[in-house]
Amino acid sequence: MILSWPTIILEISSLGIGLLLLILGLVFTSLKSKATLGYFSIIALLLMLVGSFYLPSGATQTFINNFYVQDSLALFFKQLFIVSALLVNTMALRYMKPHTNNRGDFFALTFFALTGMMMMASAAEFITLYIGLELMTFTFVLLTAYKKHDLKSGEAGLKYILLSAVSSGVLLYGFSLLYGLTGALDFSSLVALFAPTSSPLLVWAIVMVLAGLGFKIALVPFHMWTPDVYEGAPTPITAFLAVGSKAAGFVAFIRVFFQVFAVYSPIFMPLLIALTVLTLLIGNLIALAQTHLKRLLAYSSIAHAGYILLGVIAYSKLGLSAILFYLLLYMFANIGAFAAVAALVINTGQDKISDLAGLWKSSPFTSVVLLVSLLSLAGIPPTAGFIGKFYLFTELVSRGYLWLAFVAVGMSLVAIYYYLVVIRTFLSGSVAEKTSMTIPFSLKLVMLVSVVMTIGIGVFPGPFTDYLLKVAQAFLG
Amino acid sequence: MIIIFYLFSFLLLAFALGTVLSKNLVHSALLMIGSFFAVAGLYILLQAEFLAMVQILVYVGAIAVLVVFGVMLTRKGSVKDSNLPNRYKKVGALSAVIFFALLVRSIINTSFPAPSSPVVGANTIIQIAQTLLTQYAVAFEALGVLLLVAIIGAIIIGKETK
Amino acid sequence: MIGLTHYLIVAAALFCIGAYGVVVKKNAIAVMMGLEFMLNAININLVAFNHFLHPNLVLGQVFAMFIVGIAAAEVALGLAIILSLYRQRHSIAVDEMDILKW
Repeated sequence: MILSWPTIILEISSLGIGLLLLILGLVFTSLKSKATLGYFSIIALLLMLVGSFYLPSGATQTFINNFYVQDSLALFFKQLFIVSALLVNTMALRYMKPHTNNRGDFFALTFFALTGMMMMASAAEFITLYIGLELMTFTFVLLTAYKKHDLKSGEAGLKYILLSAVSSGVLLYGFSLLYGLTGALDFSSLVALFAPTSSPLLVWAIVMVLAGLGFKIALVPFHMWTPDVYEGAPTPITAFLAVGSKAAGFVAFIRVFFQVFAVYSPIFMPLLIALTVLTLLIGNLIALAQTHLKRLLAYSSIAHAGYILLGVIAYSKLGLSAILFYLLLYMFANIGAFAAVAALVINTGQDKISDLAGLWKSSPFTSVVLLVSLLSLAGIPPTAGFIGKFYLFTELVSRGYLWLAFVAVGMSLVAIYYYLVVIRTFLSGSVAEKTSMTIPFSLKLVMLVSVVMTIGIGVFPGPFTDYLLKVAQAFLG
Repeated sequence: MIIIFYLFSFLLLAFALGTVLSKNLVHSALLMIGSFFAVAGLYILLQAEFLAMVQILVYVGAIAVLVVFGVMLTRKGSVKDSNLPNRYKKVGALSAVIFFALLVRSIINTSFPAPSSPVVGANTIIQIAQTLLTQYAVAFEALGVLLLVAIIGAIIIGKETK
Repeated sequence: MIGLTHYLIVAAALFCIGAYGVVVKKNAIAVMMGLEFMLNAININLVAFNHFLHPNLVLGQVFAMFIVGIAAAEVALGLAIILSLYRQRHSIAVDEMDILKW
């Protein structure tokens, strides 16, 4: 048996660093030496990111019998996860200090979540995919409930674990039916075994897999957990959930629905279109009524799952590359917005939209970051969000879904309204009682990176779209 | 065989129904343990003896004991009426029955593929071990990490703070 | 003769009973019991498929063992969160969890 280690080296190093952090947290006794663990995790992630660019990316490589693959799609998503973990850990350096007492376990857990996400990006077999998914989910449950003296945090953790357990039950029932109907669980055998005719149980299996994966990306009937968990979790973890967990859900979704179920697209497509329209409508309309910034961003992230799914509906190479591009810009915009929320929470302990009043005077830098991030999420040029939406909508129209593009554009206009309400709040407002905010350097760095990337991708999208089109071409053959 | 199957299935579904319908949380926990045994019985009928043993060890030995601990640690005073349904009782029952009817209809209407021929004289336990540690090595290791995360989580969150 | 469909129907019934328990129970521990039934139903499905249709490989049994492992981790983590919540609010009724509105 030949084992191809480069396919799995990122997972192994992530896991190893996580375990090392756990041990170092016990070895280091003084608080001061424990404080270095966070910096250690950031340096390790930087090294992993640099190393990932030296991995062979061209041809598809497998670790053992097609069960674990490393293609350019997997590599892109792994780099995306590493960047998001990097930004999240930097954000957490100062934010989590009062809650962790400088222990290493918080940073170790982010590495375990990262390992799970990477497994989801590489898994080409349902058991491996499922274990990766649960490794990610359980770690996130734990990180959500991490502030255990905070009632909100514990409640969010309980809701998350109960609802995600239901969703994985449904997903597993679908997997068990797939296994029964074909006798295989790896993607390449399934593709070979699937016949164009379908049986009733196969339709059940597809619907159940759609529901189970839809939970992870917060599709609308399965989105109930999102606002509560986003609000209750510590802010850096909320950012990680909104970016990493959602991207991991999407890579599984892309593999399963573009590759495994490709023969059955006439069966699942009408359902997918209906759910996407529902996601766009409900995500955007309920966001209008929100008073908490984190809940608003939660509903906006639900709505963005709807926009990204438009690329799945387009079901083409351009559509896939538009999805990847959108996930990239969505990451930087969301991290920027959540970093601004973190700055607000560190200084005032509040996260209501009304607490933003006077932010322009107390911290112009945070205001600019929040402004750029929200404009990007709303899809206004010159930010990256505009280009991303433009690619998605034009590809959708060219595939003949004009009415769906109209719905999406209409809902984007609604979205612009609620983002503008937030922007108006922090640009105006009395400043009498507000003094200037102190923002830790690490948080400033995260905000700076996200703003530079959001505007950079918006102004020079060329290199990114060229690269992502190549990735999409390599994946769809 | 037929009688044993019906006996185990009847016991399983009766215990499971009792678990979700009982208003006493302690009764629910005990009935749940009974249903786990019945599932192990079905596994033996399906010639999955090793899995039946795992079922009894993990579900009855670990999960059921954990749940009973959970019940004891979160109750003060009487356990009567400790496990009441919420206001969705009727809607929930109706949708569960409809869902069941739909599933049964699909199961009956589906034609399954022809069975493959079993490997003669194969030892199930050796086969399971080989599959786990070769093809599924990645998933197997990841499951180990997952259990580690659960242990860390139980310690961080469950620990009583001074 | 007892065939595959018998087992599948028993598993479907167990799955629905578990789902019913998850939806209608107030107590968080009772909800977890319902979840265990759902996972057991999936395991019966897998083992029955393995026995009747695909006996050449033990894939179904291996999958079932993974699910047993996941179930154990889920209960451990879930009960830890339930205990921690109980210490703070002296109740584990799911419908009283309304600091965050559902």
